[in-house]
Amino acid sequence: MADYLSLTDAEKRAMLDTIGVDKVDDLFEDIPNKLRCKKLNLPDGKSQQETYAFMRALSKRNRIYDSIFMGAGSYDHYIPSVVKSICSRSEFVTAYTPYQAEMSQGILQAIFEYQTMICNLTGMDVSNASHYSGATAAAEGCIMSADKVKRVVTFDNINPDVMDVLSTYLTARGIELVVLDSVDGKAVLPDDIGIVGAVYCENPNFYGLIEDTTSIAVTCHNNGGKFVLGMNPIAMGLLKSPREQGADIAIGEAQPLGLPMSFGGPYIGFMATTQKEMRKMPGRIVGETVDSAGNRAYVLTLQAREQHIRRERATSNICSNQALCALTVSVYLASVGSEGLRHVAKACTSNAHYLANGLVEKGAKLCFNGEFFHEFVTLTEGKAEEIITALKKENILGGLLIDADTILWCCTEKATKESMDKVIEIVGGVL
Amino acid sequence: MAKFTKTHEWAELDETVTMGISKYAADELGDIVYISLPEVGQAVVAGEPMCEVESVKAVSEINAPVTGTVVEVNTDLEDSPELINEDAMSAWICKIEATDIPADLMTEAEYDAMDK
Amino acid sequence: MKTIYEISKSGKRAVTFAPISVPEYTLDSTLTRDELNLPSLAEVDLVRHYTALSKRAFGVDDGFYPLGSCTMKYNPKINEEVASLEGFASVHPRQDTDEIQGSLALMSTLSAYLAEITGMDAVTLQPCAGAHGEYLGLQLIKKYHEKRGDVKRTKIIVPDSAHGTNPASASMAGFDIVAVKSNDEKGVDLDELRAVVGEDTAALMLTNPTTLGLFEKNIEEISKIVHEAGGLLYYDGANLNAVMGIVRPGDMGFDVVHLNLHKTFSTPHGGGGPGSGPVGCKSMLAPYLPNPGVVKTDNGYEFSFSEDSVGKVTAFYGNFGVYVKALAYIVTLGAEGLKEASETAVLNANYLKARLEDLYPTEKGRHCMHEFVVSLEDLKKETGVSAMDVAKAMIDGGIHPPTMYFPLIVHEALMFEPTETESKDTLDEAADLLRSLYEKAHTCPEELHTAPHHAAIKRPDEVKAARNPILRG
Repeated sequence: MADYLSLTDAEKRAMLDTIGVDKVDDLFEDIPNKLRCKKLNLPDGKSQQETYAFMRALSKRNRIYDSIFMGAGSYDHYIPSVVKSICSRSEFVTAYTPYQAEMSQGILQAIFEYQTMICNLTGMDVSNASHYSGATAAAEGCIMSADKVKRVVTFDNINPDVMDVLSTYLTARGIELVVLDSVDGKAVLPDDIGIVGAVYCENPNFYGLIEDTTSIAVTCHNNGGKFVLGMNPIAMGLLKSPREQGADIAIGEAQPLGLPMSFGGPYIGFMATTQKEMRKMPGRIVGETVDSAGNRAYVLTLQAREQHIRRERATSNICSNQALCALTVSVYLASVGSEGLRHVAKACTSNAHYLANGLVEKGAKLCFNGEFFHEFVTLTEGKAEEIITALKKENILGGLLIDADTILWCCTEKATKESMDKVIEIVGGVL
Repeated sequence: MAKFTKTHEWAELDETVTMGISKYAADELGDIVYISLPEVGQAVVAGEPMCEVESVKAVSEINAPVTGTVVEVNTDLEDSPELINEDAMSAWICKIEATDIPADLMTEAEYDAMDK
Repeated sequence: MKTIYEISKSGKRAVTFAPISVPEYTLDSTLTRDELNLPSLAEVDLVRHYTALSKRAFGVDDGFYPLGSCTMKYNPKINEEVASLEGFASVHPRQDTDEIQGSLALMSTLSAYLAEITGMDAVTLQPCAGAHGEYLGLQLIKKYHEKRGDVKRTKIIVPDSAHGTNPASASMAGFDIVAVKSNDEKGVDLDELRAVVGEDTAALMLTNPTTLGLFEKNIEEISKIVHEAGGLLYYDGANLNAVMGIVRPGDMGFDVVHLNLHKTFSTPHGGGGPGSGPVGCKSMLAPYLPNPGVVKTDNGYEFSFSEDSVGKVTAFYGNFGVYVKALAYIVTLGAEGLKEASETAVLNANYLKARLEDLYPTEKGRHCMHEFVVSLEDLKKETGVSAMDVAKAMIDGGIHPPTMYFPLIVHEALMFEPTETESKDTLDEAADLLRSLYEKAHTCPEELHTAPHHAAIKRPDEVKAARNPILRG
């Protein structure tokens, strides 16, 4: 069927003649006959129309909600039209990693601008070109700090996916992962924690609470560790930057900046650090230089850190990352600007506090006392599942059911007063 | 007179040992862009890696020519690693208080004659 | 051209948001920041800036991209369209399983198809790139040996022709690396291999076709040597595009494979990602695959969890949007189409090779698979023109250069992978260009030393970039 090939039969014949073989199969003579496979057990090819119908039918088996109050690592934000329009340009979409600088200045400059925006957002000195996700960025940020002291401390209130990935990566590297219990939902790092390579903390944490990161940073540094701080980038529109909070390495999941939820990916992890840690940072990095005519130019740089040169001594094996997602993040940030990002952050936290107050008025309790950003946990004894089910009937995706009593809610700027009033009313009906 | 190792380091054996990499090594590496200097107080073992030097397309370990403790590093190289390319024999990397000096260090003539 | 910050002017904005419809909540000032420096632009400025950047970039849609080992085939447009369907793009990853049957069916189907194509028993889609897949595949091997109480197996054998990610991934997974030399035919040297395998061997990592674009003829013997020593065989799927429907890694004796959906299965590379690096394995390794898996039950598709899993390697389920594109591709081509794709990839590579090999020497007396490596060592000796010079001169001809200086065992190497989607006309133009560059290397080498002449920039000063890093504007 549709085969995406571009050869006529006559051309094929001419090509075989030039090569000096009779048929295509002769080119495979190095493959032992007994290894050759029979016809693959796959369906026959389809026309484009049939493929589209097949894929669309699959997509129809997923449920789409009118309003979404679930976060927990994936966030339903408004994506300006200009973002998708720019990021669909085929010069960006269909290019490889910019190895050939002369032919890839546009992509290199776009990454350089991404690095600049991430530095400005985090307050750090240097950013790399991206990681697979916030979770792998967290893991690699900890690994780059724990090569000598093989001990990383974190808290039980971080995103559970991040916890799982940290555990996988650190175990493989022979690095101990210490998980401390949170106190009233918040991270507390005891002074006598002992020598550590890194401390990893999220702000806001998985429960949406704003952490006292400054004191964690001080204790971490007093015990010889690097402070790896994971932040939701929308929260960075309002909250102190990771640098101001004492971070040595700032990481996070940048999906909220212009990427659709897309059932969990592709997303993008960002990572930024200090000048001092620059040469330990994994991943691609773009630098500014000049060309032989003295004009400004961009190149992949500090490559001696990377796997293709350092091989088994490289700090990381990453090569392909999430470049197109980094472009998306850049276009999102440039389109909303400082004021827009502040506005989105302000809308998120205002909406979340409005919803929380409304739910409390209906009899729900807040699980924790601390200040929160745009996520919060409610306690409704034995009623959590019923609440979620009641919301579904109105085509509202409620928060994440944590157990029979508790729900983790999230409000973005897309939540309207009307939609939140409806949630409050439905929850009131259940309680 | 400086002595040389098989792995292309030179060492000036005075009261403390001053060391660097040979002109041959610097030329082979090409434009050096960065050197990760050892730390003062770092214990080093003759023949084992003590720091790294990077060019755009390569990274190489630098071995300690003698066993001992690093007492001084040439911080000029942090910002100007190209000094090694310009004059490898004067661009010293560090000074080591030696506790053991291997017997197989070569003279310049022996090093020049070595099959590289 | 100017950077986005250089054209930014405070007071401009590209997007407006709905006013906040509830009482504004103000966080305590001890928690908040004062400074935030993002660009300010009107929408038109933003669009023009990025459009200008796009014109300084080059993708498969712009022209021939024979970047060896990267399989830069055409990326069908329907793939993009179906990945943006609301039913895929607007689904929250934590929705209940009865609401995400489409996503789960898609993942299950794609995994099953990839298992069939590779001859494996189970496939996880979770890894986000080839290197990420390698990392996971090696973790499976580690766990397998550990579970059998065979704790001495700490070494991964890697050929000297391997991609740099192989040793880097092995090191990240906690292994030591042993390099094994290539023989005269640029395959694994069997005597060398016999000498290095032993009770400390965890696995051998191999790319087949090799990084030289040649089929490893001794694969059965290699498999026997490694397995008899108690090790496993790892397949780096970078070069799978040569053999789909022709020979399967599982039938060659491999126990674990990783694939690159952004190479073999036509999903675009996006200027460096997102990719996707599914991992397939034989049944004895399946319990160690990352959680969650997807299974079909009487009640539809559900997530499954294995107690022995090595753990998750990324958030949620990996780069789902990429799976949508890869499945659309496989569904479109079907069994015959995939085979024809591989056959044509090999035909195109052999044709381009045939048109060049009198001037650009390559491995003699053998047909290549989907790619081939030429050495410009002699040309450099004769004329001073290097592989880099020829590559840069290709840019002026509107062709993306091939992979340069890889694999490391070939001097002055250029590695061409035309892929199956290129026409004969395109291949002929490329061959004509390369032949004319060969002439030019002898008549006016200076023109090649200073190439490219018509690109966005001349050659950049990489030494300056690395010595005095400027990494932000």
